[in-house]
Amino acid sequence: MAFGVVQIHSAKPNSPSLWQRQIYAMVLGLIVMFVVTKMDYNRIFSIAPHLYGFGVFLLVLVLLFGTEINGNKNWLQIGPVGGQPSELAKVFTLLMLVKYLSSVRVRPLTLRTMAVAGAIWIVPTVLVYLENDTGSTLSFISFFAVLLFLCGLRWSWIATGLAVVVLAGFIAIPKIKASTSYKAERIKAVYWPELAAKRYRYQNEQSYIAVGSGGTYGKGIGSGTQGPLGFVPEVHSDFIFTIAGEETGFLGCSLALGAYLIIIWRLIEAAQKSRDREGTLLVAGYTGLLLYHVAISVGMVVGLLPIMGIPLPLMSHGGSSILATLLALGLCLSVRLRRFVN
Amino acid sequence: MKSVPNNPADSFESKRQMNLRLEIVRFLALAIFVVLGARLYWLQVKNFEYYRDRADNNRYKTIPIPARRGRILDRNGKLLADSRYVYNIVLERKLGNREITPDHFPEVHKLLTSNLDIEAKWLGERFEAAKFAPRHVPIVVKEDASSREVQWVAAHNNDYPELRVERAPQRHYPNGVLAAHALGYVGEVSKEELNKLESQYSEKKGFKFGDIVGRAGLEKYYNEVLAGRDGWRRVTVNSQGKIEDELDKADPIAGRDLFTTLDLDLQQVAEKQGDTMPSGRGALGMMDPNNGEILVFVSRPAFDPNTFSQRSKTPEGREEISDYYQDTDKPLYNRMIQGGFVPGSTWKLMTSVAALNEGVITPKESRIQDGGIQLGNYFMNSMSHTGMPDVVTAIRVSADGYYYRLGLKLGEERFAKWVEKFGFGHRTGIDIPNEGAGLQPVAATKQKISEALSKRKLKEAENAPTPEAKKKLIYQAEQILKEAKWTDYDMAASAFGQGQNQSTPLQLMRYVGGLANGGKMYTPHFLLKAVAGTDRNDAPQPEWKYEEKNVFTVPMSPEIHDLVKRGMYGAVNESGGTAGGSRIEGFDVCGKTGTAQVASNARAGSKNKDHAWFISFAPKEKPEICGVVLTENSGFGGKLSAPRARAIYDVYYRRKNNLPPDTQAQLVKRP
Repeated sequence: MAFGVVQIHSAKPNSPSLWQRQIYAMVLGLIVMFVVTKMDYNRIFSIAPHLYGFGVFLLVLVLLFGTEINGNKNWLQIGPVGGQPSELAKVFTLLMLVKYLSSVRVRPLTLRTMAVAGAIWIVPTVLVYLENDTGSTLSFISFFAVLLFLCGLRWSWIATGLAVVVLAGFIAIPKIKASTSYKAERIKAVYWPELAAKRYRYQNEQSYIAVGSGGTYGKGIGSGTQGPLGFVPEVHSDFIFTIAGEETGFLGCSLALGAYLIIIWRLIEAAQKSRDREGTLLVAGYTGLLLYHVAISVGMVVGLLPIMGIPLPLMSHGGSSILATLLALGLCLSVRLRRFVN
Repeated sequence: MKSVPNNPADSFESKRQMNLRLEIVRFLALAIFVVLGARLYWLQVKNFEYYRDRADNNRYKTIPIPARRGRILDRNGKLLADSRYVYNIVLERKLGNREITPDHFPEVHKLLTSNLDIEAKWLGERFEAAKFAPRHVPIVVKEDASSREVQWVAAHNNDYPELRVERAPQRHYPNGVLAAHALGYVGEVSKEELNKLESQYSEKKGFKFGDIVGRAGLEKYYNEVLAGRDGWRRVTVNSQGKIEDELDKADPIAGRDLFTTLDLDLQQVAEKQGDTMPSGRGALGMMDPNNGEILVFVSRPAFDPNTFSQRSKTPEGREEISDYYQDTDKPLYNRMIQGGFVPGSTWKLMTSVAALNEGVITPKESRIQDGGIQLGNYFMNSMSHTGMPDVVTAIRVSADGYYYRLGLKLGEERFAKWVEKFGFGHRTGIDIPNEGAGLQPVAATKQKISEALSKRKLKEAENAPTPEAKKKLIYQAEQILKEAKWTDYDMAASAFGQGQNQSTPLQLMRYVGGLANGGKMYTPHFLLKAVAGTDRNDAPQPEWKYEEKNVFTVPMSPEIHDLVKRGMYGAVNESGGTAGGSRIEGFDVCGKTGTAQVASNARAGSKNKDHAWFISFAPKEKPEICGVVLTENSGFGGKLSAPRARAIYDVYYRRKNNLPPDTQAQLVKRP
């Protein structure tokens, strides 16, 4: 996290309020995490429906009164407090799904169970989709998929699902190539750069140049030239890893990725050792979400995935993301701490 | 495989299954991280050199496109200021892997001055200033380039890709000196302004080296309205520094047009009147007394704002500008708002209103002795000897002796109260910068000035070379303090507009507006409206109309108002009046002349002739226009200033009634 603050500072050295706000959010987040860790997660599950309802309510508010930033209508401002409710909604939806799925102990999953779980899941997902926030919509898929998988989705169904995705991809490819919508352009910029409009290609190339020019050891913290000069857009939030790449090089990036991998590793361990089904599913579901965030926000910076507005957990600027991440980690720690207690 | 809930054995089986699947998730995660790591390795280790070169080359460049400033228009939409496009030659400092550092400046300086028509000294200064500017900001090395110069740059593009021809707007004032002091002028923002946080054009507020901003007048006051949003082009540059391709572009958005309250037709007449002022110095302003909209605004001598906006980078233009600064008549000085002048007899109306309100005289009984008066051991002479006139007559014939005595009856305390009520000694809040406040001719002012003077003497005494000189200076300081007391002489002088009085012509225009409409003091202003548009920061702005501010009322009963108007009407239209020169048949002009004695006898000569004032409004009932004329150092107000107001009223009256223009219109000729 401290690494993140330093990177935000490097990204926008002239905006002190950015990294200061980030620190405030972190302090608040750490307090929330500490409190949640101390609590028994089963108590939190008892209020999961309320949290879920609250999350959906916030998402509706965003659609009605939210402000649009960079084409995504996902920012809600109530008096002095503002944030992206979609970040919190992810965690609340996860809680609700886990609560439901852990009460159903039938393996493999029946159609009925999947329908109920799907209903719980689809409401916030559609709301987020309506905010025009593709990255967040896909992140809802990430933990849903992991939960279904763990709860005993039949292998035949999985195979069918994957086949459908691949098929859909083949059908969509020519359409994407022909389309000039900004989403299509962003996809083209990664996989078929010669077809993409110059301005989209420009963003991607700038990101590769920044990361690539970092080399093995990086240019040193605070001495990046590409990111801070404004060649890369949105460096302090979704493109934060660009700065890390440029300033700390392959070494720093590997360390950062390693740290994420260790977190995910330990989360999976905690999931396996949990005393009950709720704990396992909760931790595993969050692991899926975290994995998704890291994969996308690093993947897009290094040119493996199209650009999507997704924060890198614990590093990107954004109070809501920090808070939601620390809240979820608090829950996971709570599960881990109580693994032996019965 | 069918399971039964809550069966511990089955729960164990379920747990086993789940852990198995968790292992799959774990390996998926590992796979993803391996792929990400591999890609990072490929980018940062394998292809490091390629990307390092690309970063160094920095093939992308953003080139700003300056926005056109909004136009300034008169109240009917007639043009006062606009922008024309010219070709500038611009030096890019960083292109591809070529960079021009300050070490290269002498070389570039030589190249440019030997091939283009650029003044060597000016370019040297420009490079000096550019040393401190960020490297990505280009330097304009030549404004309004000739076609030969444009061709030279194009022909040498291969050798000097850093030089570029840029189409840019340049401020143009089609009427030259017309209303120059109201419009102001534009110029480049200075280094000091950029660095100073609280300056209007600081870097913090988004201004950058080379930006053209308002430097004076409306151009400065309404810079935020007039400045447009700059555009940009994002281009790729090859390793030789040549622009290869355009990636993206944002067109500039022109600034918002500003409708002023000025009336070009009347302004043109007023400019002619200003041109014929004998000393070449003076001021002339007219406004609508019902709302403070300024119709006419002239200060003499004037300057041509085109000199600043178009020629400031040529030797001739720089010569002209330095002449403006060195001219002892100060053409850049805005006499209308900055000049503090003794207002002379125009103040008698103020004294009259004060005395009538305080009951020193009444509408029915206002007769007071006229003529000279003995004040202690000093005899104050009066130019008038009209016996025992009433207040209307006293205004009409401008009876000095009447006002000496009226002032003494009123007394300093009540007089000072009314000076304050009329707003003298305070800025009006006009919407152009650098307005002066003037000085109130009251006891407190005298005290303050004397104290300052005395202090200065004492300070001199401290450094006096000999004890005798020191003693003398201390004595003088004490004497000044003794004389600081308000005397009858001060009172009599202040009452008829002399003494330690500094009023701006603008204050007198607001004052006569109040006298015309019965006491409502509107703030004179230029803004009629700014059209809707986009501001400098790309935010949409709605249409903006002037909002009244600082408006206050001087208490004046209809009865008192009527007396003042009758006096002013008589001054223009009746026998014995001092301002017959402004009479127009059918348009009841009311006015008051003033002749301010320029005190310094030591500098006697034509330069120190009296200032001629004329304040007026018309018509008598429901006045529509009012104004002030000041002709500096030339003589009597009735002779030198009243006819100038008449010339403007005449055009106004004829236009309003669709009468043919008066070809015989008498212009005041330069003697």
